[in-house]
Amino acid sequence: MAFRPRRALAVFWKDFLDLRKNVGLLVSMAVLPTVMVLVPIGVVWSYVRTPNHADLRSVALFYDPSLPLGASAARFLIDKTLTDWFGMFLVMPVFVPILIASQSVAGEKERRTLEPLLASPVTAAELVTGKSLAALVPAVAITWVAFVFFCVGVDVVAWPLVKMPLMPDALWTFGVFVIAPLFAFFGNGVAVLISARVSEARMAQQLSALVVLPIVGMVGGQVAGFLKAGLGYYALQGAVVLVLDAILLWASIRLLDRERLVSRWG
Amino acid sequence: MSGIHVEGLGKRFGERTAVEGLSFHVRPGEVFGLLGPNGAGKTTTVRMLTGLLRPSEGEATVWGHPVDGDGEPLRKVVGLLTEQPGLYDRLTARENLRFFMKLHELDEARAWPRALHYLERFGLGGREEEPVGGFSKGMRQKLAIVRTLVHDPKVIFLDEPTSGLDPESARTVRDAVAELASEGRTIVLCSHNLAEVERLCERVAVVKRRLLAIGPVKELRRAGHALDVRVDGEAERYRNVLTSLPFAPNVLAEGARLRVMLADEAHAPDVVACLVGAGARVHSAVPAQRPLEEVYLELLREGRG
Ligand SMILES: Nc1ncnc2c1ncn2[C@@H]1O[C@H](COP(=O)(O)OP(=O)(O)OP(=O)(O)O)[C@@H](O)[C@H]1O
Ligand SMILES: [Mg+2]
Repeated sequence: MAFRPRRALAVFWKDFLDLRKNVGLLVSMAVLPTVMVLVPIGVVWSYVRTPNHADLRSVALFYDPSLPLGASAARFLIDKTLTDWFGMFLVMPVFVPILIASQSVAGEKERRTLEPLLASPVTAAELVTGKSLAALVPAVAITWVAFVFFCVGVDVVAWPLVKMPLMPDALWTFGVFVIAPLFAFFGNGVAVLISARVSEARMAQQLSALVVLPIVGMVGGQVAGFLKAGLGYYALQGAVVLVLDAILLWASIRLLDRERLVSRWG
Repeated sequence: MSGIHVEGLGKRFGERTAVEGLSFHVRPGEVFGLLGPNGAGKTTTVRMLTGLLRPSEGEATVWGHPVDGDGEPLRKVVGLLTEQPGLYDRLTARENLRFFMKLHELDEARAWPRALHYLERFGLGGREEEPVGGFSKGMRQKLAIVRTLVHDPKVIFLDEPTSGLDPESARTVRDAVAELASEGRTIVLCSHNLAEVERLCERVAVVKRRLLAIGPVKELRRAGHALDVRVDGEAERYRNVLTSLPFAPNVLAEGARLRVMLADEAHAPDVVACLVGAGARVHSAVPAQRPLEEVYLELLREGRG
């Protein structure tokens, strides 16, 4: 069973075309990056506005009791916010492919388009590749575009206080270009696997979306002061997700069986 | 090995047997009918023959390709019109067709005029840039048929091709089916529409989980014989004497006419003798062709027993 890239690209072409015409999905996809960009800019701005507020120092000391007396608490908190927010930012590359892939795999079943598709020469591997590309490309593109807005926004807002560009820094650059695609691959893999088993796009979306919870939970741990984020911390997360990605890839190739897909109660 | 060869094909879904012991051959260039009531296993059979479902038993080849192989060469030569049109609503008619041209790795510059020819033929000319979501049920069905044909398939499976079509469109589709067959393609047509099967198919298989009968439509009709008898007065009076005959024929009475179904032509004189014995004045007794529907219903009754 040869893998024909042209057929995988055909699936990608069709799904991408369909996505461009799916206004509802585009709107829900746009909400997340907007929030992801605006919230941290707002937080940074609030620190910049009142850099000498006495309470900032208490907050900073809560996270780091060894903060030197001469250091600016506002600056410390801005750095901490930016570092912690990357964990939250990762929700976007996970969630966007879930939105798209659930629609595109379970949606084919729901709208009864899967059977004619499976009766064409396309193989299961080509189908999964095409559909995954159609979910990953927009997800990674949106993440990168949001990253650009984020950098510009943060630098503009922080300028009066720090007088130098804070973004992009090493952590975010590495994170957005290396870790985020790994997370996108993970979200897509989960959505494809779940979509192949359930018959409704909505159900696939809701089930797959649960994988976002651990990510949000980790960020909660950072804010509560239990976890200390940094480049090494995120690189470790990335390594774990890389392993999960490999498992998902193996599972989707094994489990995506024509018969199971076409059966009504598969 | 061209055409379709099916040998002992069966499919179980858990406890339920959808199809069992199905055997038949379809010659290249033939239009073959698969006739059966709801749930008879027609769609399941077609799915097995297009490589979508793996048979639980038996084997089959379609245009020389085994249906339980990797399936890719098989899917290249077959065209399947599924029960539901299964189109992408947000895409235009043209985009829907282009997608399948790409999946078949066709040269679109060559394949598109062919598709356009069928679109026009089915009255969809000029609508190709509209999103399919706005199409009527019949228009979708017709577009799905065009999609089945984009790659110029050798073997075409049509699962109820005229369902949802108005009489005129149904006729267009039937004409197209006849034309495709005349081009040497092999066509399998699933239907419960007897008139359609009768008009288009050279041979028919009547199925209800198992194969109940198979043969040319003409022969199936003769599978039982009928005798049309005209008597004086109410024919109804003679029904009981006839049904009490040793070979217990099925009898319909209408006005002065009796229609007697016979398993064997040789019983015709006995019927006449019996009527005369019961005091009937017999004006005429002629062998009759039974409509396919009657044969079909009778086969289904037998199939149940
Ligand atoms: N994927 C499946 N899982 C379980 N049972 C199935 C499946 N597909 C079909 N069946 C069962 O197999 C039997 C035959 O179904 P099939 O769809 O082949 O009938 P059909 O002849 O096409 O009927 P119709 O005329 O209504 O289209 C039915 O009892 C059906 O419930
Ligand atoms: Mg059916």
